[in-house]
Amino acid sequence: MKMKSPTTMIPGLYLTLFFAYLFGPLIIMVITAFNSSTFPRVSPWECFTTDWFGKLASDDKLLAGLGNSLLIGVGVVCVAIPIGLAAAITLSQVGPKLRAALYTIFIAPILVPGVVIGLSTLIFWDRIGTLFNAPYESFFYDGTFLTIFGQVTFIAAYSMLVFLSRIQRFDTTLTEAALDMGATPTQAFVKVLLPFMAPAIGSATVLAFLASLENYNTTVFTIVSSSTFTTVLSSKVRYGLDPSISAVAVIIIAITLIGAIIYECRNRYNTKGWAHVIADRPVLKIATHPGTVAAILGVLTLAAVVFIQNHDSSACTAQVLEEKRALQQQLMEQQSLNTPEKTVPAPTMPNLGPLGGDEGGTSAPSPFGNNIFSPENLGTSAPAEN
Amino acid sequence: MRDLFYDLVRRNGMAVCIYLMLAVSIWVFLLIILPQLTMLDYSFRFNLPPAKIGGPEDVYTLEQYRYFFQGSGASDGINTLDIGILFKTLLSAVFVTIFDLIICYPVAFVLAKSSTGAKARLLVLALIVPYWINEILRAFAFRILFGATGVINETGMGIGLWDTPIDFIREDVALYAGLAYAYILLMIFPLYNAIESLDRNQIEAARDMGANWWQVHAKVVIPYAKPGIASGMTMVFMLTSGALAAPQILGGPSNLWFTQLVYQWFNSGGNWPRGSAYAMVLLIVCIALVLLVMRLFKVSIGEIRQ
Amino acid sequence: MALTFSGVVSSMTKEISLEHVWVEFGEFTAVHKANLNIAGGEFFSFLGPSGCGKTTLLRCISGFQEPTRGKVRIGGEDMKGVGPNKRPTALIFQNLALFPLRSVADNIAFPLEVRGVDKKTRRKRADELLELIALPGQGDKKVSELSGGQKQRVAIARALAVEPDILLLDEPLSALDLKLRQHMRTELRAIQKQVGLTFIYITHDQGEALTMSDRIAVMNKGKIEQIGDGRSIYDHPTTSFVASFVGENNVLDGTVLSNDGKVMQIDAGMGTPFTVESHPAGGPALAPGDACHLFIRPEALRVSRDDSSVNQFETNFVTEEFEGNMRHIMMNTNGKDLKLSLINDGTNAIDANSPVKLDFAPELGIALKPGELASA
Ligand SMILES: Nc1ncnc2c1ncn2[C@@H]1O[C@H](COP(=O)(O)OP(=O)(O)OP(=O)(O)O)[C@@H](O)[C@H]1O
Ligand SMILES: [Mg+2]
Repeated sequence: MKMKSPTTMIPGLYLTLFFAYLFGPLIIMVITAFNSSTFPRVSPWECFTTDWFGKLASDDKLLAGLGNSLLIGVGVVCVAIPIGLAAAITLSQVGPKLRAALYTIFIAPILVPGVVIGLSTLIFWDRIGTLFNAPYESFFYDGTFLTIFGQVTFIAAYSMLVFLSRIQRFDTTLTEAALDMGATPTQAFVKVLLPFMAPAIGSATVLAFLASLENYNTTVFTIVSSSTFTTVLSSKVRYGLDPSISAVAVIIIAITLIGAIIYECRNRYNTKGWAHVIADRPVLKIATHPGTVAAILGVLTLAAVVFIQNHDSSACTAQVLEEKRALQQQLMEQQSLNTPEKTVPAPTMPNLGPLGGDEGGTSAPSPFGNNIFSPENLGTSAPAEN
Repeated sequence: MRDLFYDLVRRNGMAVCIYLMLAVSIWVFLLIILPQLTMLDYSFRFNLPPAKIGGPEDVYTLEQYRYFFQGSGASDGINTLDIGILFKTLLSAVFVTIFDLIICYPVAFVLAKSSTGAKARLLVLALIVPYWINEILRAFAFRILFGATGVINETGMGIGLWDTPIDFIREDVALYAGLAYAYILLMIFPLYNAIESLDRNQIEAARDMGANWWQVHAKVVIPYAKPGIASGMTMVFMLTSGALAAPQILGGPSNLWFTQLVYQWFNSGGNWPRGSAYAMVLLIVCIALVLLVMRLFKVSIGEIRQ
Repeated sequence: MALTFSGVVSSMTKEISLEHVWVEFGEFTAVHKANLNIAGGEFFSFLGPSGCGKTTLLRCISGFQEPTRGKVRIGGEDMKGVGPNKRPTALIFQNLALFPLRSVADNIAFPLEVRGVDKKTRRKRADELLELIALPGQGDKKVSELSGGQKQRVAIARALAVEPDILLLDEPLSALDLKLRQHMRTELRAIQKQVGLTFIYITHDQGEALTMSDRIAVMNKGKIEQIGDGRSIYDHPTTSFVASFVGENNVLDGTVLSNDGKVMQIDAGMGTPFTVESHPAGGPALAPGDACHLFIRPEALRVSRDDSSVNQFETNFVTEEFEGNMRHIMMNTNGKDLKLSLINDGTNAIDANSPVKLDFAPELGIALKPGELASA
């Protein structure tokens, strides 16, 4: 093997650092979901637990928000995809001057802050509702409808970009050929252009749905009195840090990873090189089929769910609680011994043991006492106010 | 206009043409232009109870904008608080944008020019995956990371860099790190697309003519990737200055982001006209800034792609 | 042949006529007053260099392009305002324009599909057409799995499924390699004979035009320069452009000394004046004193047997290109290059070191008004 010179290693090193920045926070968040500590943290590690997932399953607000989000997502897809497609087709058919003008208008919603879009949507429909003297139950004031309108404003632009990059590769002589062979312009559209756009419609749908699901800035205005998955999550985060939020992240990351793996497998499976490899190896062909991969991942997920449901960490948590109580006892005694002294001497820390820690509930004065974000405040399950 | 209509009908047939026109007009007028105009109109009105809307008191006024500049006090006072927040927001957004550009440029370059085939695809996938995860959760991750007992503090203290936990939240470090993280992808992809289309031979030719690596970038790659750099910077800047979730979760208690002001006027303040005026201020200042920079860099808005 | 074409009978009567057709794109004139008639059942070619307006003219006939001025008539009917899907024409595109997402059979059956023909009939018809183009049983293949020549034939089958009266072909063979191109020429001609349709064929390959067509229109810069069968285009060009574009030609600048309506005397600066036949049909007659271009084909030049031949002149050897059956010899007289093509009969009549005497028959020299020459 050749020795690598330091300069050729720099890009690799840089990429590693960069991806550490990308994934580090996520990995740490995932780990905190399995720590029984009531404050999301990696260290000190208390017990391995899956209880936070259980807590999610009984979180009605979050589930209701999720339901709304899915509904809104479907609505957004149904409206934004036809609009984005129409916009891309229009752009591909008009002259260069009009195209530049239209493109500027179409791209604007991506650049306008989401807050502004949400706000203007809310005001506009409120105004229209007032104009028609519509009752408050009508859709002009309905969070779900308003959110769909607000999100479509910019998600249509995203999907338009997807369609635009596909339509640029469309060979317009195909439409002409169809016309020449007697198709009406509408038939040519349905039988030639639409099938060509089909893959882009698929990816734009996924993109639009996910963008809708994760949107916050616009939704927080337009949702009015209702809620979505994201707004519930946001108020949870602002209300108090809680490892069950990490558990949400674990679930979403798992879904994303499964999606990414299946997507990548499908890509590899469909390459020419791989088709060659598996041509006369039926076992390998079945084993690497994306369907098989999906099935295996499905089974693994199921196993994880069963594990989460059955894992019992109560023994360990009870023990930790016991230790804490003992510690608290000890500290209180210590405190009563030297009342005048305010700070706990640092040397007492190490003998707390690996599972110990200055965990919530202790009366140990904090080195940065009045910080509302310090874990002391949160660990006692007193909500932190933002 | 008539010609355009006939041309579209001729090419697509009546049914499809009606669909195209209808969909585009609904989008442009009902979703984009009219709401913005309504908001503009709102920002020039008094905050009246519903009963008085349309009544004699419902007249146009500059009051909401006056408030932004002068505050509630005397007529010659200056609303230093809100103006200060606007400046801080814009400045921070510029800072975050530049930071993103600096860390993303090498990644985009390596991805575009040194990786090929499956490896490049995998790296791109690895870039995208974190972005399927909710914005709120990403901010939450930084909250954990930078907390008083978070990994950063524990490590820092563990290796003896500092000995009492640093309050990264109050210092806004967590906020900047979280914001920079939030829009990395929108910087990388325009850069990547721009650099990828650069012919390798151009770089090699420059090398061949004696340029060192720094000159290659300064004289060949960066000028070529200028539209990509401009569109990446525009996107990141606009999204950062318009961000709401990250400042709400990661911002220090006394440090507000301008969008939070808008949010406050709207929700807790219950003053829609003033919220509108603040939103207009944000929108206009941001667009003006972007146009100015684009003029400086000599790129047009048509070159902005995702 | 089991196939019957309902279009066959009517095609005999559907002649196409272009009347003063102009096409302008803004300032630019792509077609310049085109006038012509194409009879039903004819194999008619447009020949011309790239960008001369061939495709544009074809698009006028098929209905994708409205002429700026002038009329297109098919079967006597004015086609103004009639869309491409309503005209009795089928176009085979320069890039074929097969639908990549459809199977071969679905491509061929597309015209029937859009006319609402049911699936079974469509399939049957597609199979018949596949038979015709010698690709039986290949209907379920993807278009991308076909070779270039096969794609070509599928495009023809798809156009025939329209049952058009007129088939328009835009350089359909340009993407194929030489061997296949020659093969497809014969095949196309055979299909045309078999189905009896009018073929309007575009090419910039003169070999193609000359071998296949009943008549050819030579175009240059939007203008139709000459219309005629292959022989008359080659043997009796009427403009300098046609003379220089079709086949190889030596061109000499000359001056007309006399013209009695049967023969002309021309001074071409080669010593003795040349005598050539006047071609009264070929454009405006030349009068004494006029400048002219004198064209002599390389194969029309011959090495003089004796000193008494007409149109004799002296040349010097420059270089020779040997092609096996032919020898192409570059000669030079008074600074003017001339090419001479000889059949390789084993003798060597050219002496490289001393002057050689050449001559040509008066009916093989063509004197035309000076005009634009095709660039080599
Ligand atoms: N839609 C158009 N707008 C402007 N100019 C055009 C248009 N279509 C064709 N032209 C111009 O008209 C001229 C003739 O084009 P045309 O396609 O008919 O050439 P052609 O003879 O078919 O050439 P080729 O052999 O290369 O296919 C060209 O100079 C071309 O640039
Ligand atoms: Mg052409």
